[in-house]
Amino acid sequence: MEIFSSGKLSKIKNSHVSRISKQTGFPSPAAHYAEPSIDLHDELIANRDATFYVRIDGDELSNYNILDKDVLLIDRSLTPKKNDLVLVVLDGEFKVIRFSGASLETEFILWGLISYIIHYAR
Amino acid sequence: MIALVDCNSFYATCEQVFRPDLWGKPVVVLSNNDGCVIAANKEAKALSGIPMFEPVFKIKKQLIENKVTFFSSNYTLYGEMSQRVMNILSSFSPEVEIYSIDEAFVDVSGMKHFSMNYYGHQIKDTIFKYTGLPVGVGIAPTKVLAKLANKISKKRVSENKGVFVIDSEEKRIEALKWADISTVWGIGSKHSKRLKGIGILTAYEFTQLPGEWVRKNMTVVGLRIWNELQGKSSIEFKTMPAPKKGIGTAKSFGKKIEDLGMIQEACSSYISEVSEVLRSQKSCATYLQVFLHTNYFSDRDKQYSNSVTVTLSIPTSDTFVLISEAKKALNIIYRPGYRFKKVGVCLSGIIPNNYVQGNLFTPTPRWEKNELMHVFDKINRKYGKSTLFSGLVGTRVKEWELVKEDRSPRYTTQWKELLKLKTTKH
Repeated sequence: MEIFSSGKLSKIKNSHVSRISKQTGFPSPAAHYAEPSIDLHDELIANRDATFYVRIDGDELSNYNILDKDVLLIDRSLTPKKNDLVLVVLDGEFKVIRFSGASLETEFILWGLISYIIHYAR
Repeated sequence: MIALVDCNSFYATCEQVFRPDLWGKPVVVLSNNDGCVIAANKEAKALSGIPMFEPVFKIKKQLIENKVTFFSSNYTLYGEMSQRVMNILSSFSPEVEIYSIDEAFVDVSGMKHFSMNYYGHQIKDTIFKYTGLPVGVGIAPTKVLAKLANKISKKRVSENKGVFVIDSEEKRIEALKWADISTVWGIGSKHSKRLKGIGILTAYEFTQLPGEWVRKNMTVVGLRIWNELQGKSSIEFKTMPAPKKGIGTAKSFGKKIEDLGMIQEACSSYISEVSEVLRSQKSCATYLQVFLHTNYFSDRDKQYSNSVTVTLSIPTSDTFVLISEAKKALNIIYRPGYRFKKVGVCLSGIIPNNYVQGNLFTPTPRWEKNELMHVFDKINRKYGKSTLFSGLVGTRVKEWELVKEDRSPRYTTQWKELLKLKTTKH
């Protein structure tokens, strides 16, 4: 085994905030405009405590735009409106249906509203 | 006013949320090493002859005969679901005292514009809607009464619908008369036996005793409960959880083990687990206890058990220091020729990092190692537990670990274990 000796290593922090040289050069003109990078949670998840994830296995929901291996975001805090896609329970099994109207058909138990469908585009 | 919110059969209902096929059916959860039943839902409790805290091998047949579904404990899931419940509670009041994984006291004194019954239902309905977990809510002027109200909320479900409020003298007396003395929060079996011996059967009769008698016979702790039952608040509201006094883990091996090396590896692995918890609490431990024993239930094996407690020269949370100390400790108590069933570790004398003092011989705590532990934890958090581990933990985990076969997926924390929906042709 070879042993390397090196000088002091300076750590590079993996950060997306633009860095400013302290010693030389011009101060970064971006410093005053720094913002955190995009976080998908901000856009996709309104209520973390009520959001659950479901992975789809199979192609049979393609008429709802839900494809194999897609991930559904289920926000249980939302109340469904007509034509919303919802995850329901029928005879002890999960089903995805399009919500038909003001009140849910009695045989279904609402589990949660599908707020987003994430699918891989390639 | 204080609300006590607690989840009904928490571990079992966490499992059921993701398994609608088990709704309305008996479900039990087994302890960490599948040793015994630690939780059962109301359907399972209703079946007679399934005792809690019994070794599973004794009741497995009964479980199967009664079509009870059993799960190995999935603390990752329960912890995450608990966090959701606590977050929701903190949207109802700024003062939430987390009492346990499935229970919290919520100070609702500020909610003067709501009826307490309405507010209780709001809490209950919101938690169920967001998480699918059923809870009971008891609201009363003191913590002990809130506990009692919570019990009543569950007992007479049709009447109370999971919420019970003690907001008048009549209701307080009614509740006290209903409560058996042994069910009062804080009254242990010893005191309740004694009280029953002198004819005190209900909480109401207890409150009729003179205060001096209670103080004399049940110390100031008993007096606090007595006061609380009268509606006088005597147990303070702690919004910050008390730091743990001891952190430990002990699990049975998958098979009996004689080999010291293998036992050391298991022990090192437990140390890694508990020291990580310790670091997450920004604390150090002063004492390390290691214990080892054979299978108490076996008649064929020679029996041996022993434990040793090490005082660390400097309190630490460093996995490597603790592992090497545990290894030494194990060398002291290990005896060859026995078939061991379990090894365990317990860290105690826990103090915050910034209280750690050096001593004359090792003057400065080794801070540079803490940097290493910090990176260690960061990597393990990001890439999964045991991505990095001490070499002393070894790689023979499969040979000693009890395999958890019936653990449910970690639906809420692992992309690979998400709830799966199979779509079939209509």
